Amino acid sequence: MTIVTGYETTELETRSTYFELADEWRSATGKGVSVAVIDSGIDITHPDLEGKVSSSVEARVENKKVVFDPVEPGEGLDLVGHGTACAGIISGIAPDAEFHSIRVLGTGGLGDGHAFLAGLEYAVKNRYRIINLSLGTTKPQFFSPLHDLLDRAYLAGCVVVAAANNLPHPSFPSVFSSSLISVVKSEEKDPFKFGFHFGQVIELTAPGVNVRTPWPAGGYRNLTGNSFACPHIAGIIALLLEAYPDLTPFQVKSALYAIARENIDKKKEESPEDE
Amino acid sequence: MAANQDPELVNKLQQLVETVDITNFLVEPLTRSIARLMEVAAADLGSSEASVLIRDGDQGDLRFLTAIGEVADQLLGMKVPAGKGIAGFVLSSGQPMVVSDVGEEESFYAEVDKATGYSTQMILATPLRFNDEVIGVLEFINRSGPPPWDQFTPDEMDKAAHCAEAIASLVNAYESAKLFRELGDKTLSEPGAVDLAAVREWLAGVRSSAEHREMMDLALLLREIAGRGDAERAMCRDILEAILRFSETKNETSFLG
Repeated sequence: MTIVTGYETTELETRSTYFELADEWRSATGKGVSVAVIDSGIDITHPDLEGKVSSSVEARVENKKVVFDPVEPGEGLDLVGHGTACAGIISGIAPDAEFHSIRVLGTGGLGDGHAFLAGLEYAVKNRYRIINLSLGTTKPQFFSPLHDLLDRAYLAGCVVVAAANNLPHPSFPSVFSSSLISVVKSEEKDPFKFGFHFGQVIELTAPGVNVRTPWPAGGYRNLTGNSFACPHIAGIIALLLEAYPDLTPFQVKSALYAIARENIDKKKEESPEDE
Repeated sequence: MAANQDPELVNKLQQLVETVDITNFLVEPLTRSIARLMEVAAADLGSSEASVLIRDGDQGDLRFLTAIGEVADQLLGMKVPAGKGIAGFVLSSGQPMVVSDVGEEESFYAEVDKATGYSTQMILATPLRFNDEVIGVLEFINRSGPPPWDQFTPDEMDKAAHCAEAIASLVNAYESAKLFRELGDKTLSEPGAVDLAAVREWLAGVRSSAEHREMMDLALLLREIAGRGDAERAMCRDILEAILRFSETKNETSFLG
């Protein structure tokens, strides 16, 4: 059992929460939880992902606005591999989660942040419970619209999980600590043994080094990057939300910190010489 | 040649020739410095193959700007279509990544390997950023010596990212210098007075990065307006100031159509 307590101060109020998590969530499978993967698409023919992707759309620019078209079955579902890898990691932890692929990368001429933001807006409008963002932008002009979108996600009950920037620059949205969960890679292998550390913002740490992931055309790859740490946490959240469907994003965050703290304490007990 | 009778044209041509020489002088040392930095970084990462890919046009395509290692010469000028391969992902996502086992079925690398006879097995790819813009990708391929190799580590990813910062500013300088040189070539090959409209039309078709191209186009426009009189200059200034005010207050939050 994990005891969760959390306080959150916003401009308007201080919220607090206190609840107990029974360990049963650890054996959940993510059933009934919708997960949006905003990325390069998902190869739905990969054996690890077959039958798990409920919808696939791709971004296209029309009259300077972004529109989303359904991806035709059989048409290059993921030309890059990154989205398939991320979905595969989530599905490895939460095999019964329901995936929605929002392709904003690899379609040519869309790498400027607009498609990525539109993808986030699309996911929030569809109220997917978990939104996996293993990408980001460092362009300052997106700071304000992203902030607004994340607030909307938060109010809509969508839990946004973003990869922290691997580079020594702040990247958006992972620097917005209050309305999303940001994740950085660690060499840990067990997805349940995630931790956290304080950087510019509080970040969760999850496996992200040499992670074996599905790859388009039925293969597998070993990949390293914060991009692959982020879906580990998305998978854990899917388990929590199956067990406790009514958790708000704030409660999910508090639960993750409580579990991470337990994990860190356990690690200290097991190997005190590391400290 | 008519230039013999027209001292003004002779003067103009001389100026242009000097400009071209100066820019050649700028471009070449830049690519050499980039290659030198890559050698230092590659040695630090225990690799001997590295390449810098830069944007080719503004649709997400990439081309090899410079490379070091066994097959460097064959890579130069080679193109990577938008979104293809690890480099395409790194360009569009801005996220670095390491792939420890590229594998034979990886279509893009298989193509490049087929052309060069090289075998790509491990990749460390990190974005080149300048002014918050991803302008290219720095890649390190395999390690030195015979395989099996240790995978690239998170520390090595950080080292590569630091090196990418230095390389990115050189790449940006290279792109500006190259566009300037091309503009020099263009105006030199035009007989008679420089036709700004024609130069702008030419500029629109150049496969240089959008920011550099737009910047130069703006400069050409301003030059033309400035030549039209006081009233035009004042009006132009008012409009530009209005744009600045607009951009300061703009707060667009919907991106969907």
